[in-house]
Amino acid sequence: MIGSGDILTPIVMGFLLGGLYALIALGLSMVFGVMRLINLAHGDFVILGSYGAYALMSFLGMDPILSLVICIPVMFALGFGVQKYLMGRAFGISMEAPLIIAFGIALIIQNTNQIFWTPLSRGITTSYSLKSFQMGHLQFPLAYLLDFLAGVIVMIALREFLARTYLGRAITAASQDKRAAQLMGVNTNRIHGYAFAIAMASAAVAGVFLGMTFPFTPTSGISFLAIAFGTVIIGGLGSMLGTFIGGIILGMVQTVGGYFFGPATQMLILYLIVLVILTIRPQGLFGR
Amino acid sequence: MIASIVLLALFPFIGVPRSWLLYVFLFSIYLAMANMWNLLAGYSGLTSLCQPAFLGLAGYTMTMGTWVGVPWWVGLIGGGVVAALFAILISLPVFRLSGIYFAIGTLVVPEALRLVFYLWKPVGGALHGAGAGYMVKGIADVSMDQIYLIALLIGIGSIFLMRFILRSNLGLGLAAIRDNERAAASSGVNVFRLKLYTFIISAVITGWAGAVFYLYQGYIEPSATFNVKWTMTLLLATVIGGMRTEEGPVFGTMVVVFLYFLLARYAGYSFLIQGIILVGIMLLSPQGIVGVLRSNRLYRALAQLISAR
Amino acid sequence: MPQQALLNVNQIDVFHGTFQALWGVSLEVRVGEMLALIGANTSGKSTLLDSISGLLHPAKGQIEFEGRDMTHLDPYQIVELGITQIPEGRGIFPDVTVLDNLVIGSYNRKARSKREQNLKRVYEHFPILNERKKQTAKTLSGGEQQMLVIGRGLMADPKLMLIDEMSLGLAPIVINELFRALKEIGERGITILFVEQNVRRTLQEADRAYILETGRVVLSGTAAELREEVQVKKAYFGI
Repeated sequence: MIGSGDILTPIVMGFLLGGLYALIALGLSMVFGVMRLINLAHGDFVILGSYGAYALMSFLGMDPILSLVICIPVMFALGFGVQKYLMGRAFGISMEAPLIIAFGIALIIQNTNQIFWTPLSRGITTSYSLKSFQMGHLQFPLAYLLDFLAGVIVMIALREFLARTYLGRAITAASQDKRAAQLMGVNTNRIHGYAFAIAMASAAVAGVFLGMTFPFTPTSGISFLAIAFGTVIIGGLGSMLGTFIGGIILGMVQTVGGYFFGPATQMLILYLIVLVILTIRPQGLFGR
Repeated sequence: MIASIVLLALFPFIGVPRSWLLYVFLFSIYLAMANMWNLLAGYSGLTSLCQPAFLGLAGYTMTMGTWVGVPWWVGLIGGGVVAALFAILISLPVFRLSGIYFAIGTLVVPEALRLVFYLWKPVGGALHGAGAGYMVKGIADVSMDQIYLIALLIGIGSIFLMRFILRSNLGLGLAAIRDNERAAASSGVNVFRLKLYTFIISAVITGWAGAVFYLYQGYIEPSATFNVKWTMTLLLATVIGGMRTEEGPVFGTMVVVFLYFLLARYAGYSFLIQGIILVGIMLLSPQGIVGVLRSNRLYRALAQLISAR
Repeated sequence: MPQQALLNVNQIDVFHGTFQALWGVSLEVRVGEMLALIGANTSGKSTLLDSISGLLHPAKGQIEFEGRDMTHLDPYQIVELGITQIPEGRGIFPDVTVLDNLVIGSYNRKARSKREQNLKRVYEHFPILNERKKQTAKTLSGGEQQMLVIGRGLMADPKLMLIDEMSLGLAPIVINELFRALKEIGERGITILFVEQNVRRTLQEADRAYILETGRVVLSGTAAELREEVQVKKAYFGI
């Protein structure tokens, strides 16, 4: 069932969408690199960010991008706290404890959102989020472009942070050899806290832009976790640039697939891609 | 113990209140699933989050079967088979992964199935004309007593199954794998195959339990079926009771089903509370109820008595 | 010549889970010396180093550095006190450049301000690291990687350096170079405790040594004393 219009449209949309996907995945990638933990609750934290921005907009009329000024520090602190009091302790308990606790946290967030906001689908709309822009003879939603830009900015910011600051280098070091990093004076417990907090902060950004691009519900978290996971799997773990490229690839494959098989299949295609990649090349395209 | 089983089996016939029957029914279903999860995550190191896939597939097999003339009990048994086949199918990608990857891989599977069943309506019929649900045809021919007894059979059966597995070669191999996978592999334990067996077994039993549930409910639809809420509940049951113990799931399921009744009025909060309890238990008392009990001498003596039989 | 004790390990028992690895081990490291710890793989030498570095904590006994008790400190705190460990197996950060590896070495507070100064010194000891500074660490040869991690340890501005099995898998020529560098480092006032399996070579380089066997100190003394003992006990150690 071929969709109407150019195939160029889905290709470009997918490309831009990839920026959003990368945005969602970057935090996950960093946490995994350092802590070998894939935060099952990551998708739900992103949605939490979306609801946060939605709340600020509904009650205070705040522009969502502006609200990042509040959302980012709050999520950062939340992330640090969650790691320190919940996830960090989990590692000492048993092999599966971190997973189970992350799962529990995910459900707590989902259900809290459900109680506050009802299962009704929400979206963040601003004066500009519904506009489109022209490229040649094609039109695209402006939101997609904003997503892409946000993705690029965050990716570069994280890359620079990891490469140039002592804390960033410590995170990189700890993700490659924890023991050696400890012997260099890195307080790995603290580092885990920071990595998680940064991941949450990036989830906040992702949540805001996500909210402007797509409608979301309390249970959207899983889909975005799968997206983040797929992105990270394709792009290889630990590399910010790799994750970004992974996002773009995933975005394009998904939209082009949707073009050929119908929009309802888009998520399904994504899940299938994730499973296929896991089967044939678990370390991703750029993985070590 | 045999006495208590007989007693439970007689429940429907001795005029026990309906709510008790429901309790035992749900208890049996969740017990079977919790036991299977314990087998996977507790004993085999596979934190599988795709149980809803198995129970849903089995449920759909049975339900769709009734639309094409397949008797419900054939569909029920067949459901387990379908679940097993599916388990084999996804073991290919999913077993390549360990720990955390495995968890996400398995988390994704029920979601994918939810979409599949949302879009795929091969046989006629719909639930109240909306959604992609199916009613179970010919439900009037099945008595509640029958459903109750089947559930009881599956639930109690799962206890014996666990006992059998844990004392068998499979159980030994699993213990070795959990302890140190690499060492187990180099001592000749076929890690992949053992994990696959456990995966398949859990798929079948979970599938059967799920199918019976949908037999009871009378209809099935994708979003409630392939929902992480199933996973949450049976995970909670296992963890509360005590992972890696035989009695754990029994205690845990008792608590969880009790909670279900308690919180039935506050539907929205039920899962929130479950989540909080889960996190709390893992952090504060990861050994669960059994862990607490085992430090009590009277309990240990009792346990000795029962297992000596 | 009486010298101050920089590090004092006092009768420690250390366990790996339920398995006891060290039994009442005592050790003294004096300022400015080259001290060797000799022992086979099962001797517990790495456990001892890890206990000093804080990766493991003794169940019994104390460890004192410059007179202060540091038995239960976290690894990063011990680094801040001035002890770094160059672990067995090198422990490079493989996907990071040589320069970045070195920079991470100066992570602790005190070392940060001296980063440039220490970097220059590291390049003096190991000019090849300067040549390869933009290369990814995993592309270096074994000997160069060992130099890298020693250099990285130096960047932490330590008073005491613990080196675990430096010569493992390296050619004699490279080992010589490494020992030469160690001597230079020692002359700058840094105390070195190194662990090796090769008795003869070790006793050539060290001032004093302890011999460890299955978690206990079986011999200790100056290198000269031990060389004589070792002749007598050749068969016992199977050298």
